[in-house]
Amino acid sequence: MTLAGKADPRTLTDTARSSGAVPDGPTETIAPGRAGASLAGVSLALARREFIRFIRQPHRLAGSIGQPLIFWLFLGAGLTPSFNAPGMEGMTYLEYFYPGVLMMMILFASVFASITIIEDRDQGFLQGVLVAPVPRLGIVMGKVGGASLVALFQTAILLLAAPFIGLTMGWGGAAMLAVTLVLVSLGFTGLGFLFAWRMKSTSGFHALMMVIMMPMWVLSGAFFPITGVPAWLHAIMLVNPVTHGMTILRAPFYADPGTLLTSAGYLGALAVVVAWVVVCLSLASMRVGRRDRGAAAALS
Amino acid sequence: MIRIEALTHVYPGRRRQPSRVAVSDLTLSVPDGTFTILSGPNGSGKSTLFRILCGLSVPSRGRVLIGGHDLLRDPAAARALMGVVFQNPAVDKHLSVTENLSIHGALYGLSGAALRARMDEALAWTDLDGRLSDRVDTLSGGLARQVELAKCLLTRPRLLLLDEPTTGLDPASRRAFLDALGRLRRALGMTVLMTSHIFSEAETVDRVAIMADGQLLAHDTPQALRARLTGDVVVIETDRPDALAARLRGDLGAGVIRHGDDLRVDEVPGGDAVAFLERVLADYRPEVRGITVKQPTLEDVFIHVTAEARAAGRGGVSEIPRGPTSAEEQQESAA
Repeated sequence: MTLAGKADPRTLTDTARSSGAVPDGPTETIAPGRAGASLAGVSLALARREFIRFIRQPHRLAGSIGQPLIFWLFLGAGLTPSFNAPGMEGMTYLEYFYPGVLMMMILFASVFASITIIEDRDQGFLQGVLVAPVPRLGIVMGKVGGASLVALFQTAILLLAAPFIGLTMGWGGAAMLAVTLVLVSLGFTGLGFLFAWRMKSTSGFHALMMVIMMPMWVLSGAFFPITGVPAWLHAIMLVNPVTHGMTILRAPFYADPGTLLTSAGYLGALAVVVAWVVVCLSLASMRVGRRDRGAAAALS
Repeated sequence: MIRIEALTHVYPGRRRQPSRVAVSDLTLSVPDGTFTILSGPNGSGKSTLFRILCGLSVPSRGRVLIGGHDLLRDPAAARALMGVVFQNPAVDKHLSVTENLSIHGALYGLSGAALRARMDEALAWTDLDGRLSDRVDTLSGGLARQVELAKCLLTRPRLLLLDEPTTGLDPASRRAFLDALGRLRRALGMTVLMTSHIFSEAETVDRVAIMADGQLLAHDTPQALRARLTGDVVVIETDRPDALAARLRGDLGAGVIRHGDDLRVDEVPGGDAVAFLERVLADYRPEVRGITVKQPTLEDVFIHVTAEARAAGRGGVSEIPRGPTSAEEQQESAA
């Protein structure tokens, strides 16, 4: 055999001259032109993509608005005769369930958004984002922020129905409601993000959604009041952050902003929701920042 | 531009799956402004190396410098210098060409007039005129690849990493893509590292690196690599490769490499390939289905180098059943 021995890559710069290659300077450091975009820039760009994709899929729009609407109208009409919660005399179930349906829309928007994380990985878009010099929190915020935008857009349509069931509010209340909707969808999508990040298939996520995210909604007071349930259920509902989200979502329909912002109950619930959001987003950001690591190798 | 120092990557073991060494103590330096092709059989560790280079995996041991920035300690600075074209598309096929580019630009802090100027620059060489507001999933495979490359050029990378970028393209589109890549590389002064199986792609580049079993077997200019095989290569097609290989080795003292179902003699005993061919035909005519004498190409060097490395790993046995394909096949014939 005429192989001239194994190549030693360190001596190869000598053989490269024939092709006009320039040998690498040993310590030359190239300053990056730009060190990537700001957190806000990255988040906005990725969130915009989520929204564009959302409005390009009319069936998704129709489904995500239609399903909660059908739930609300049918369950509301059907359960109103038997709805008789303590302290809520005179309230129809249609009215009681209305904020719960808003929450349901947020839940669905978050679930959809989390599924698109798996799709983005599967279809390759995510790898291009991951190799970009962007803050990892920006990747989370883009997805989660986009989902919140979508949720806000969907719920805005349902909010048009509020006056017809006798729920009215001023601009202050509407602003509080909007902030609440965004907060809750950040929390929900952040949670979905945590689960979806490592998942390989969307079918796995559906199971997770039914076991974790759906029960969080059912046990939040969206579906039935927290008062009057068995003690063990009451305890579960209290530790569920969505319950507190439900509290601050329902509040602006029944009290004016001034009263709410001095009410300990409201502020307490708000604090729980904010904590939920912060924890989920930080964990998600850490999760994205973690790269596949090689196992420790013994020195040979 | 790239310095890889004593890089080792071990995939952690899972249940019923032992840990696996994918890259083993690899040192490689890619000079500024060169076009390098990284090649190797499937499972040679080149995909792992690629993932490490683009910062998606953290190696078990070793160091990677990209333009002087430590990829492991300061990934953001290293990433800012790089453009990566993946084997799978990384564009959003539901969005238009322009939308894809503007989102990618935003990830690198480009917007407004600067983004538009860069977009014109990055698209100038493409055939995407008039298709810019079309969704990517309506484009042909070749055009979609152009979007992929244009997207990376948007950020004016100093280093372009491409992972088998021509997979799935027809020969004409592949040629067009590589020509464009070569022109752009010279015009923009980029360093390019591309993984590829296709050796016709490697003939015109500055360097070819060959990997197998996680190790760098060769890294040289295509000319120097071809010069490793002096003289002609004889390739014998046969239905019973193992039996014939044994006889050729025993009777003629030839160094025989088994490659798939072909037998290859890279160094002809006596140095005269035609005489050797006649001898083989005279002695083993019934077993020979076809026999070829040819000048070595890069592919022949690749087969030779990987086979020799495998032989060295097995204590000098030079009968190496391998194609640049499956590990299963190797185990099967080893059993």
